[in-house]
Amino acid sequence: MAPYDLVALFGTTGSYFVYVTIGFAFGFILESSGFGDSRLLAAQFYFRELQVLKVMFTAIVVAMILIFWSTALGLLDYDEIWVNPTYLWPGVVGGLIMGAGFILGGYCPGTSLVSVATLKLDGVFFFLGHVTGIIIFGETVGFITSFWNSGYLGFLTLPELLHVETGVVVFLVTCMALLMFAGFDWLRSKIYGKKK
Amino acid sequence: MNTRLQPEMLGATVLLLASAALAFYGQPDLNQKWEYLAPKLEPGLQQRTVYIDPAELLHLMNDDYIHLIIYDVRPEPDWNEFHLVDAEHIATQDFASQRDRLRSLPENAVVVIVSNDEFLSTEAWKLLMAVAKPNAYILEGGLNLWLNIYGVPTEEVAHHGKASLGKPDGRMRHRFRLALGDRHAAARPDENLVPQREYTPRVKLLKKIAKAGGCG
Repeated sequence: MAPYDLVALFGTTGSYFVYVTIGFAFGFILESSGFGDSRLLAAQFYFRELQVLKVMFTAIVVAMILIFWSTALGLLDYDEIWVNPTYLWPGVVGGLIMGAGFILGGYCPGTSLVSVATLKLDGVFFFLGHVTGIIIFGETVGFITSFWNSGYLGFLTLPELLHVETGVVVFLVTCMALLMFAGFDWLRSKIYGKKK
Repeated sequence: MNTRLQPEMLGATVLLLASAALAFYGQPDLNQKWEYLAPKLEPGLQQRTVYIDPAELLHLMNDDYIHLIIYDVRPEPDWNEFHLVDAEHIATQDFASQRDRLRSLPENAVVVIVSNDEFLSTEAWKLLMAVAKPNAYILEGGLNLWLNIYGVPTEEVAHHGKASLGKPDGRMRHRFRLALGDRHAAARPDENLVPQREYTPRVKLLKKIAKAGGCG
């Protein structure tokens, strides 16, 4: 039953090979989807290009369906999957900061690495700024510990929050994603005309 | 008219149908989860590596390093009559509410489930493992054996004697004059004064593997 202890299965070297393969595949898909181009990423926020939304949200929905179908069939132990604990207020503030950084710089941390891999200068500088920000945060987080740990809600998930069965939440999220794709396509065509 | 199904429409239909089917199929309940976990965990029951001697539990109760949780899953009348010091009375149907707590337990945490014999506690152990897989054990022989060893044969307990453990039936087979809960001497005997028992230590502290995730 997954998740598997890769080190026990393949040894240390074998597990590193698995991690490298997964990382390679992830980076390959991101780059081939155009996520290494800051213009494409930033265009998302002006509704000019909807690739980011569609690719990422499709990946989310596919992963969600695979995870919960695997759990339902006993192939995966969902309790062994890490769920980030919710710290509400730092999450909100962090999201605002990241959103501002994303639209200003045209990258998020992951896509900046994709850009660095293809030696784009803007990606390199974004990445350097990103690392600098991490170091500064690491050195100063001690001054904001009480805020950083505020709004703790535990390992909160949508089914627990909404008091609805997990399968129903999966269906609703899938419907929401598909409606969002159609809705943004309509919005884009209204603002910029039909895509040729 | 172009009747070819667009790949996007096909993909959307597949996702919609898969999620709708999942909504009907549902997620496994605790009993079903135990069936999935049984191949890995059942050997612990069969080889009795998850059953701990009363002397080992007594030692854990006196070990300040161990974060000990004792779940008493017996009916309330039995609980009221006698229970161990610091035990928590909990019905098995309430185990799901302990999920977050169990997932947050430190490395030095040990959970011990007690019942009158082993029947209820064994079933409770299976459910608890399905909830959160804590470092959990079962009191060997239940409280009937505990009281055989540490019970006080004085006027505190009317006609107290060793209970027969030959045919465990889940009942408390010691009789009490008063329902004193954890105020009986046997609720937490003095480890230095009771007869020492030989036992094979079974409790192992789990090394917590730091988990993390997230993607930028």
